[in-house]
Amino acid sequence: MATTACFIIVSRNDIPIYEAEVGSAAKREDAAQLHQFILHAALDIVQDLAWTTSAMYLKAIDRFNDLVVSVYVTAGHTRLMLLHDSRNDDGIKSFFQEVHELYIKILLNPLYLPGSRITSSHFDTKVRALARKYL
Amino acid sequence: MTVDPANTSLGRMLLEEISPVVMVLSTPLVEEDCLKNGLSFLQMLNPFSSFNNIDVPVRTASDQPYRLQKFKLRLYYASDVKQPNLEVGKKKLKEIVTEAGEKDLSELCSDAPQISNALVSSESGNPSSWFQCFNKQLVHMVSFSDHEAFDHPVACLLVASSKDEQPINRFVDLFNTNKLPSLLNDGAMDPKILKHYLLVHDNQDGPLDRATKLLAEMRSTFGSSDCQLLCINSSQNVQLKHQENPWAPYKSDASPSQHLGCFLNVDDISEIKDLMQDLSSKHIIPYMEQKIRVLNQQVSATRKGFRNQIKNLWWRKGKEDVVDSPTGSMYTFSSIESQIRVLGDCAFMLRDYELALSNYRLISTDYKLDKAWKRYAGVQEMIGLTYFLLDQSRKEAEYCLENAFNTYSKLGSSGQQNATRCGLWWIEMLKTRDQYKEAATVYFRVCGEDPLPSAVMLEQASYCYLLTKPSMLRKYGFHLVLAGDHYKKCDQIKHAIRTYRSAISVLKGTTWNHIKDHVHFHIGQWYASLEMYDVAVKHMLEVLACSHQSKTTQEFFLRDFLQIVQKTGKTFEVMKLQLPVINISSLKIIFEDNRTYASPSAASTRESLWRSLEEEMIPSFSTARTNWLELQSKLIPKKYRESNVCVAGEAVKVGIEFKNPLQIAISISGVSLICQLWQKTDEGTPDGNKSSEENDNDDNCEKLTTNIRDISSDDSLFILSEVDCSLGAGETITVQLTVTPRVEGTLQIVGVRWKLSGSVVGFHNFQSIYVKKNVVKGSRKAKLSPNDNLKFMVIKSIPRLHGSIQPLPEKVYAGTLQQLVLELRNQSEYPVKNLKMKVSHSRFLNIGNRENLTTQFPACLEKERDSGQSGALANSDMSHDVFLFPEDTLIQGKMPFLWPLWLRAAVPGYISLYISIYYEMGDISSVIRYRTLRLHYNLQVLPSLDVSFQISPSPLRLQQFLVRMDVVNRTSTESFQLHQLSSVGNQWEISLLQPPDSIFPLHSLKAGQGLSCFFMLKSCRKLSNSEDTISSISTPLASDVRLVPQGSGDSVYDITRSPLVDFHHCERLQQESSQQGDLNVIDFILISRMLKINADPGFCNAPHLISHHSCHCSVASAAPISWLVEGPGTLHHNFSSFCEVKLKMTIYNSSGATTFVRMKTFDSAGNVGRLTGVNAIQSATPGNQAGWHDVSLVNDIKVASNVPGTQLGKPLSLESVCPFIWSGPSSTNVQLEPKSSVEIPLQVCVFSPGTYDLSNYVLNWNLSPSNGRGNHEEGRQASGTCQGYPYYITLLQSA
Repeated sequence: MATTACFIIVSRNDIPIYEAEVGSAAKREDAAQLHQFILHAALDIVQDLAWTTSAMYLKAIDRFNDLVVSVYVTAGHTRLMLLHDSRNDDGIKSFFQEVHELYIKILLNPLYLPGSRITSSHFDTKVRALARKYL
Repeated sequence: MTVDPANTSLGRMLLEEISPVVMVLSTPLVEEDCLKNGLSFLQMLNPFSSFNNIDVPVRTASDQPYRLQKFKLRLYYASDVKQPNLEVGKKKLKEIVTEAGEKDLSELCSDAPQISNALVSSESGNPSSWFQCFNKQLVHMVSFSDHEAFDHPVACLLVASSKDEQPINRFVDLFNTNKLPSLLNDGAMDPKILKHYLLVHDNQDGPLDRATKLLAEMRSTFGSSDCQLLCINSSQNVQLKHQENPWAPYKSDASPSQHLGCFLNVDDISEIKDLMQDLSSKHIIPYMEQKIRVLNQQVSATRKGFRNQIKNLWWRKGKEDVVDSPTGSMYTFSSIESQIRVLGDCAFMLRDYELALSNYRLISTDYKLDKAWKRYAGVQEMIGLTYFLLDQSRKEAEYCLENAFNTYSKLGSSGQQNATRCGLWWIEMLKTRDQYKEAATVYFRVCGEDPLPSAVMLEQASYCYLLTKPSMLRKYGFHLVLAGDHYKKCDQIKHAIRTYRSAISVLKGTTWNHIKDHVHFHIGQWYASLEMYDVAVKHMLEVLACSHQSKTTQEFFLRDFLQIVQKTGKTFEVMKLQLPVINISSLKIIFEDNRTYASPSAASTRESLWRSLEEEMIPSFSTARTNWLELQSKLIPKKYRESNVCVAGEAVKVGIEFKNPLQIAISISGVSLICQLWQKTDEGTPDGNKSSEENDNDDNCEKLTTNIRDISSDDSLFILSEVDCSLGAGETITVQLTVTPRVEGTLQIVGVRWKLSGSVVGFHNFQSIYVKKNVVKGSRKAKLSPNDNLKFMVIKSIPRLHGSIQPLPEKVYAGTLQQLVLELRNQSEYPVKNLKMKVSHSRFLNIGNRENLTTQFPACLEKERDSGQSGALANSDMSHDVFLFPEDTLIQGKMPFLWPLWLRAAVPGYISLYISIYYEMGDISSVIRYRTLRLHYNLQVLPSLDVSFQISPSPLRLQQFLVRMDVVNRTSTESFQLHQLSSVGNQWEISLLQPPDSIFPLHSLKAGQGLSCFFMLKSCRKLSNSEDTISSISTPLASDVRLVPQGSGDSVYDITRSPLVDFHHCERLQQESSQQGDLNVIDFILISRMLKINADPGFCNAPHLISHHSCHCSVASAAPISWLVEGPGTLHHNFSSFCEVKLKMTIYNSSGATTFVRMKTFDSAGNVGRLTGVNAIQSATPGNQAGWHDVSLVNDIKVASNVPGTQLGKPLSLESVCPFIWSGPSSTNVQLEPKSSVEIPLQVCVFSPGTYDLSNYVLNWNLSPSNGRGNHEEGRQASGTCQGYPYYITLLQSA
């Protein structure tokens, strides 16, 4: 399990619709905004890279000091972004794929408005379980 | 792109930074002379040391000469030719930054810069002018290092003054090795350098004679070409002002009053110019050419060619283990490596890049092999730059610079400064090629631990991101924030604010809430630390509604915010205060025009509900629909119909939700509305001219509110209510605000204002952020604009009724009957008349008579013994109609008007009672002629008793029925006393089977207890035939049974009295079934009382009764017929022959239709048998009556089960000859008219003594279909079969 990991889902309008600190390290008060800053800035890179490949998993696209940003872009241009300090590429890929499935299930909910915040607690627990499993 | 590399910014930079160094050695007298002009000697020469068009032919190693155009000499005092002190350098850096920060101060107060502006200005390089200064300073921090040769002086300028004694000696002294820089002494460079001797003469000191003499002397000593004379300060006593002061750019810290070079006239300047030109073109450049040629020859001899290369490789290998410390002084100036490097640098400075490159590459591999990493990195750096200037192999150039950068970085702290310089050059190169993104990453890599340079680097990185195409704005913002944080670390608050402000322009409106909070909160804090509280508060406001943050952070934010506000020392007025959040969609406005409300709950009820209730009462719309247009237009003038109307002196209520998004409690105070009122001045045109007092119609809310606060004193046009409240964590409350206009005119509700924590005033304008207003009424006004919905016509005061119902409890038990009083008050002096009332649930609420007010309840219901039938039976149909108060009812003045009401909680559950009272204005003419008062009450009815009745025909008598009443107490705490059971209708008579004492030993029914008791019900009608006319149910006469013991003193209640009978009527309608008019139904009313008075405040302690109405209990069984077999029970016979017994069967048709009945008897052995056989004989002894009792018990059970004949006698095991036979006709057909009975004689023959069950007969019945009642009987069968029920006959052997 990574000591620091921040997972965030960004809608196609660049609005974060789900955020979770899934690292094992103790949560620091200022970490939240630093992570947001890094991930937010990494969107610029994603914007460039997303159209250069047909793969959804973009691997590690950006880094800040020892923190790496890995991104997975869905077909609807929703971006699953993970900020992490571990080097477990396969695990991250599996994590993204499974979260993508969960996200699709959320989308299938007729009461969920695409692009709105994901508030499902079920989704949250599932994501955290996946993070424990793969990261 | 065909830009000459030399003309790019990097090219120019290199030209400046990598150019020949001239070491200046001067005597103190020279400096003294120069200081008259406010300049040092060096500064005096500096402006003239760079040449744009020197046009000197140069021939280096190759035979082809070329011409140099641009050239620059760097002049340094000998004392400065050393590695600069790191601390001093840092101090200088800080000075530059601080100075730049001061300049920006003015901008800090202005609005946040736009991105487009930032883009334009950074492209032109304007805001980053101090960046160049800073970068230059960074580069200078590593000058004169020993591993590079381009900083090594190529020439030495020795200067003495003509005033000096013995100038020749002074010259010699100047070039004293002790004072020379360490570079020359420690062998890093060749101490034999070009020397040039200069004699400075101050013309103010006197004529030139001595100087020329000295010059001649010098020339003879040092050689004629190397000596020169310079005359300065020729301008005698006159201070000159130079139009374009050439020194100004070089001496930035000069005070404006000081005139630089004030004693230097044109001749002096041209002389200096000539001197420098001469020095460059005639001495330095040829000297360098010479040096290159010499070195080149040496290098060629030792290193070029195949043989030398082999030798070098071999030799290097041998040397490998010797050299470990790369920084050691193993490379003296005489070593071949140093010479190659010097050769390369000289060639570079004379722009022979090919030559430089070949030498650099030659030396690079050597250094690498020697693991002399610093030198290697330095050479790599130069290779990169050379590639760049040659404009070839971009990749290679980048690679070399990166390599150099990495190598420097690996060296640790010693290479840090070099790495920075290398990085800067690399960045410049990338920028030149528009690779801004890469440049930004290099900037990021350049950042070291030192916060100040890092901050500047990060900021430059951010501008690079901005310049990338397309702009990477998020990266720009992020790096600005990082830079800001670094600035903050080294106390450069102004720079920090500047960067954050730029960042805000990008991050404005972001939904990444942590980012937003971070930026706004810090910038707010920093502004506060600069004591710019206004701006600080503006930023802090943005972070207040931070529901996503942790509790501690929220507390921290709020505390800081309030501290800053306190420091400002005034109450802030904020238009967009986010705390607490206002739910604008919850805005609810309640105003009273001709609809008035007794309670807020009444106002929140749907308008349509009231409308349907009032439909019959209100004259205007419903009565004459054909010409409603006309009517309505007559009723209210057009203007009033289009806008909302409210009455002066009556409050307009506004309900709005405040939500606290935080996890900490906040307090708000002084919540009130912001309103405007235009007073009507002219009766004729009330809309035309508004009172100028508050004619402030613009939306400038700030101004408006101050205006309103001023006038909200006593004599203002309206009164506002103020509410203080505290919001807990995450709490949402609805605040009720009122505005009461006092004069006629137009009232406009503008918004709401409140004070947060006693220091910040927030406003919310309803119109500007209007979403959807939820005005309770006025669905027909939907087409109006929102503004109009908040606008009211205020009309003059008219009467208004206040009403309430006393004492209406909140909770009652089902069945509770209680007297209530409707109280109406009219505060106004004008009377109201023509009162009407309508109640939504007449089953629950009944309108009484005026006499009821004076009577005592429940005593008034008690049956008076003597009086027969009081004609109290009142308006039975009133429930669905409008109740008209007596004509003479006038409500006026302070006297309350009272009217009795009856409440009966009919069924358990939650009940909303709606009452509407219509009244008309008395003696007043107004646009509103009538008003309605709407009352709404909620009632919770709890279950009390469950009462059910079962009626079965008595087997002993026709027209008699057994009634079983099951009562269960459903409450958990209450005890009930059952008082009486009444049957409604005059044809029934009810009586108890047992005395009450035996049924209710405790006289009460405890909580949860259930009991059954039995009654006998007798029909009083003539049994005989159907000839008596069916009396209508108009006057139900009652028959009552007291369930309390006789002595308890309570008398029986008369159920025919007013409230009871009315409610009973409602219940009858409610419980209506198909058997209407059926005479076989009966209604029961059970009256009980609660024993102890409940202490629960929700309950009312008023005297009460509890009545349970059970209507339409049918006495009829499933079949329309009932019958009774009569005969002797026990007979004695001697059985000499068979015994013949005569029986009688009475069949009664209880249905309303003619019925055909066929009675059949049969003697089949399977069904019939002797019950006890032989045993019967034995048991027939007179003393043993047990068997008889058994039988009677069976009889009882049968009655209770109400399904006669379903249980046939069990087939007996004893298969014998049937002991009796039916001896009459085996089948009889009769026709029965409705409600009539007929008798059939029966006969059985019994052969032996015993007890016999005579149930083996069957009745087939068939209803006549011809009767018109058919539709009522649909639920029933048209025909059926009834098994006979047991009739036991016992025959005893007579003696």
